[in-house]
Amino acid sequence: MIKGYAGRILEIDLANCSFAFKPLDEAIARLYIGGKGYGTRLLYDRTPAGIDPLGPDNPLIFATGPLNGSVAPQSNRFAVVCKSPLTGGIGNATCGGSFALGMKKAGIDILIVERCAAAPIRIEIDGDRDEVLFHDAAELWGKGTYATQECLGKKQHHAVIGPAGENQVLYAGIVSNERIAGRTGVGAVMGSKRLKAVSVQGSRKLDMEDPEKFKEYTIEVRKLFKDHPVLGNSMKRFGTGAIVNTANARNILPTRNFQRGSFSEAMKISGEYLEDHELRGVKSSCIHCPVTCGRDVDVEGVGRVKGPEYETLALMGSNLEIGNLKRISEWNYLADDLGMDTISLGASLSFAMELHERGVLDAGISFGDPEGVSELIRDIGHRHGIGDDLANGTRRMSEKYGGEEFAMHVKGLELSAYDPRGSFAQGVEYATTNRGGCHVQGASMYMESVGPLTINPQNLKLKADIPVVQQNLACAINSMVLCIFTTYGIIPKAVHEMNPNSLRYRALALAFENMGPLLRTAMGMKGPPMLWFEKWLSYITGSKFSGGHLQEIGARIFNLERMYNLREGFTAADDTLPDRILHESTFEHMQSGHPLGQLLPKYYKNRGWDTQGVPTPRTLERLQIRI
Amino acid sequence: MSVTLQLTYEMSKALGVPRLELDGPETVADVVRTVESRFGDAGADFAKLTRVTAIAVNGVLVNYRRGMKTRLGEGDVVAFVKAAAGG
Ligand code: SF4
Repeated sequence: MIKGYAGRILEIDLANCSFAFKPLDEAIARLYIGGKGYGTRLLYDRTPAGIDPLGPDNPLIFATGPLNGSVAPQSNRFAVVCKSPLTGGIGNATCGGSFALGMKKAGIDILIVERCAAAPIRIEIDGDRDEVLFHDAAELWGKGTYATQECLGKKQHHAVIGPAGENQVLYAGIVSNERIAGRTGVGAVMGSKRLKAVSVQGSRKLDMEDPEKFKEYTIEVRKLFKDHPVLGNSMKRFGTGAIVNTANARNILPTRNFQRGSFSEAMKISGEYLEDHELRGVKSSCIHCPVTCGRDVDVEGVGRVKGPEYETLALMGSNLEIGNLKRISEWNYLADDLGMDTISLGASLSFAMELHERGVLDAGISFGDPEGVSELIRDIGHRHGIGDDLANGTRRMSEKYGGEEFAMHVKGLELSAYDPRGSFAQGVEYATTNRGGCHVQGASMYMESVGPLTINPQNLKLKADIPVVQQNLACAINSMVLCIFTTYGIIPKAVHEMNPNSLRYRALALAFENMGPLLRTAMGMKGPPMLWFEKWLSYITGSKFSGGHLQEIGARIFNLERMYNLREGFTAADDTLPDRILHESTFEHMQSGHPLGQLLPKYYKNRGWDTQGVPTPRTLERLQIRI
Repeated sequence: MSVTLQLTYEMSKALGVPRLELDGPETVADVVRTVESRFGDAGADFAKLTRVTAIAVNGVLVNYRRGMKTRLGEGDVVAFVKAAAGG
């Protein structure tokens, strides 16, 4: 077996409480690495088109990669892959916490959970004894994710759902420690299987090709991170909430259900404000991560819990026009405890507020008013009253009540917190990303609107190129499985330290903006490993990974996801953005919204797709994608 | 002519206000000069901070226009932008 892998897949059938250990397929591991990539390959091969995402035929795949189980910073994540009940297409999400480490210690690369249990159940996996125990989970059913994990104890590593997963809220997530695999409704799939929790333990060690080099180099990387302006400073000091003020200044902070791009009270919900007023010095981190981007806050009546991240601050703050950090923290806790994605939740709330404002739906909540929001969040998690509608997300709500033009989703997945009208490449990424409107499947906005070297985000230059490179890289990162925030370290310190108004800086940004296809050619070059994750992969597995290799592997994964969606009936018409984004402007000088129509044909061409957005046979062959 | 200044958190702490309204500046450079002269020591700190922040007018960076010479209009929002990361 290739080093870095445990070499085993554990298959569990909940319908008859049976299990089997199978060997990991080395050929698939070489082509798709692990994590999201390997999981997607399994999902594609094991399921026919058209399965019910909440039925027994949808497997729930937990997948780690070769970096998990090592002490590399940010290598604590696992991926979950299944058909999404929210979008009807490919579903996946990654999660920090400690479950990935637990899986590798138990000697399991991938866990596939098949079919459904007849009654609430939980699973205990002991990797040292090769044993799987099935327990009645009736007593845990109904408990929040915090209480559930407390009951399960600290001896094992857990992945659990809360009431939202049990009630199949379409954007329910799976929680490990305080982190959540939030997007696309993977928790609803776990709930449909009546699976409350998976607990795993073991004492195996990761076998590496060159442990000495890995150790030496990891010490170097820790120093590099510590010294980096983003990973060692801004994210450490202010968490991801540091983006609030930046997005606000760039007019891309979703406000009032994306009606505007700036919020007058943004400062009061920013990471800097959190640091000064709420945090009192407590930062939290995923295991082995020196970045510590998590914040702990006090929530009244609960105590100290995980605080809100940028997406929550925006989607449940500015987008609801609420500048009250205490209330947002409380809602963040509620969502985590119920086990729900705060992006889709926030967007569903803002959509309900706009329907309310237009007199279409008496949702009982209004923009700018926190009254009734906590109660509604609980109702969503339990599918009570109007909460039952909101639990289905914005696309289904708009089908029921109207308002499709301001239902802020792509392919059924609610948009995250970067308004693409001020970030054109991000708009292309939202429109084309296989799981729907998400930013962490590429994070193009970092290269054009919030990062240190930003090109003009409102012209067409490079806007169909950046998303290809970024999506490919994200696919590879999500297959190792590393935290996507690691990519924020790629732009060197020297660039961060330049005066952004200087001529030198402007010349550099201009040169970058005019790279055109050179960008993809440069990124595709297969030289020696340069970046830390390329070197880690190489030291662990013994194979050489360069940026070019990762681009190729990422493109393979991305195209396979695309093929999955096409098989499910998606077409080019699904590569779009909400009407509000396409036709309304939030910038004074803009006549209309995002110019997606001008960018999409070029994006398809860059991808090697035909004019209908279908990967050509040549592309599939070049990427060795077996269909 | 009046413009609104949207400050970074650090600038806002230095100047003791979350936002500023300024009458009279015709260009972005005027904005920096006016604040610097009006706020004494805090104004000097502010000017220092402008060297590590990009500047946007109505959300669009002045780098894509005429830099510090970018002309301002009535009601414009001049925002100071610090690079940030997260998700
Ligand atoms: S950067 Fe933040 S989210 Fe990523 S691994 Fe570190 S603490 Fe976790």
